[in-house]
Amino acid sequence: MNVSGWFEAVASCSSATTNSRSQALSLHPAASHRENLTSSSFKPPTPRPGHLPNMVVYAVLILNKAGGLIYQRDFNPGLQKLSSNDYLILAGTFHGVHAITSQISPTNETSSSGLEVLESENFVMRCFQTLTGTKFLIFAEPRQQNLDVVVRRVYELYADYVMKNPFYQIEMPIRSEGFDRHLNSYIKPHQ
Amino acid sequence: MVVYSFFIFDRHCECIYIRQWLNTASSAAQPLSRPVTASSAATVATSVVEKPTAGSRLSMAEQAKLVFGVIFSLRNMVKKLCGPEDSFLCYRTGHYKLHYYETLSSLRFVMLTDIRTESLKSSLHQIYVNLYVEYVVKNPLSPVEHAGGEGVNNELFELGIDSFVRTID
Amino acid sequence: MNRDPSPFRTASTASTATSPTPKYANLTASTNLRYSLTRKSIYDRHLNRTKTSELSKSAFAFLFGEMVQYAQKKVYGVQDLEKKLNLHGYAVGQRFLELLLWRDGRTAKRETRILGILQFISHQLYRAIFQKQADTLEKVRENEDEYMISDNDPVVNTYISVPKEMSQLNCGAFIAGIIEAVLDGHCFPAKVTAHTAPNELWPGRTVFLIKFEPEVLEREALRVGS
Repeated sequence: MNVSGWFEAVASCSSATTNSRSQALSLHPAASHRENLTSSSFKPPTPRPGHLPNMVVYAVLILNKAGGLIYQRDFNPGLQKLSSNDYLILAGTFHGVHAITSQISPTNETSSSGLEVLESENFVMRCFQTLTGTKFLIFAEPRQQNLDVVVRRVYELYADYVMKNPFYQIEMPIRSEGFDRHLNSYIKPHQ
Repeated sequence: MVVYSFFIFDRHCECIYIRQWLNTASSAAQPLSRPVTASSAATVATSVVEKPTAGSRLSMAEQAKLVFGVIFSLRNMVKKLCGPEDSFLCYRTGHYKLHYYETLSSLRFVMLTDIRTESLKSSLHQIYVNLYVEYVVKNPLSPVEHAGGEGVNNELFELGIDSFVRTID
Repeated sequence: MNRDPSPFRTASTASTATSPTPKYANLTASTNLRYSLTRKSIYDRHLNRTKTSELSKSAFAFLFGEMVQYAQKKVYGVQDLEKKLNLHGYAVGQRFLELLLWRDGRTAKRETRILGILQFISHQLYRAIFQKQADTLEKVRENEDEYMISDNDPVVNTYISVPKEMSQLNCGAFIAGIIEAVLDGHCFPAKVTAHTAPNELWPGRTVFLIKFEPEVLEREALRVGS
């Protein structure tokens, strides 16, 4: 086989990739100027606390530390409707996957956080695990960058309207009208 | 960008190719260990002495099993949530990012990189088209099934992967 | 009670408080609630100090939550629970009235008219406890002996979501108890109950219904006559 021939093939396919991704990654000095421009124009405005960044949130799920689903709510159409049993299975599966993802760390850090962001063609999911092991999953439209703000606010609402409610039993499904109401007015402020 | 490792899983859910790169300061990726490959003559010169990677507690074969478990579950989860035509692209933890690409023939390509890497979907697709199809599928000596990685470990594919990873660095 | 630190802010202040050398932390942490600049603890302050006597709303919410849970343990039904909360509030109200009148010093006066005492409650008492006035004070048209004080967002109910099967319950019964004690302390015996009366703007609006005993009205009639 002609060695120079395949090498050309490899070179051509690789140059195609670098071109398509030059904006984001290129270390070339000529491209760095453009990169700065794009990154600054993409920087989201720092939102005020209690104010939702302009985005569509599909759903919010909360898992307790044992992997049980304690809260599930759809806000905007975008995800398929599942039966409550399917949601429970999904939560359990995700709990396991989250634990495994912290095991497969290729770097040398001893402790690794589990899955934080999951991207697919149609949505992006942010998972936030509190120090106590509760997990918050936020599903939103794809290519959203500042889901951290949302997750933080949801955590805050949880701490306020779930944990401070004397009628809530810890680790059990959340049925709190105040939490529902505040979450709704935060995620869908115009309706 | 740093590429940590690369896996291929066939349609029988078996890992048919593993490649790990040592995370060195130089941009050139160096092969560290290839449990399923016979090292080719061309890469032997650059390969470093095999030493157990400090910190990574799992052998590569075990890691491959875990990786497959994760991508399999996440793929099913995404399909359940968004319908069968959606596909899972990548996920990120605090320390690494996993990119996923599945062909229509259920071959699965997985690459682990550092977290700042952008989506590698097109790159994985090109590895499939320009390297896997070219050097594995079109190779008349290669078997149809690749039990134990047989047939994937040819020199040309190895070299291709190496130089490819170097270019996306 | 009007301070509302978010859980994150509470966490951050807590982390500054636990400095590696707690011995010297007293001197530096001026924002620390427990140690003021004068190195007196919050417990050492004079009773008359009202300016800095605010406390964290979160801390209160947790305390009150525990109180509700505790009250829930030995009761049969919603009415029993409300009665229990009312009793808790009554004990607080009795003591608080004393403090309030003592703080007023020479300007303090004993209210003798129904309207006067009701205004005292919805203004002075409410401001002393919640740093705001009650939102409305009304008379029930049908009944001579009933008055209503409404609060759009009672502090005690901020974080409470009552489950559906207990929809009759309003934990404002605690405040109702305080009001009842203050009325009793002024020799206006009455029954005070808390009722949820939401409107569009205020989903947690609560009305305190005050029903005076007949002798109060009798006395009031005599005074008007004289």
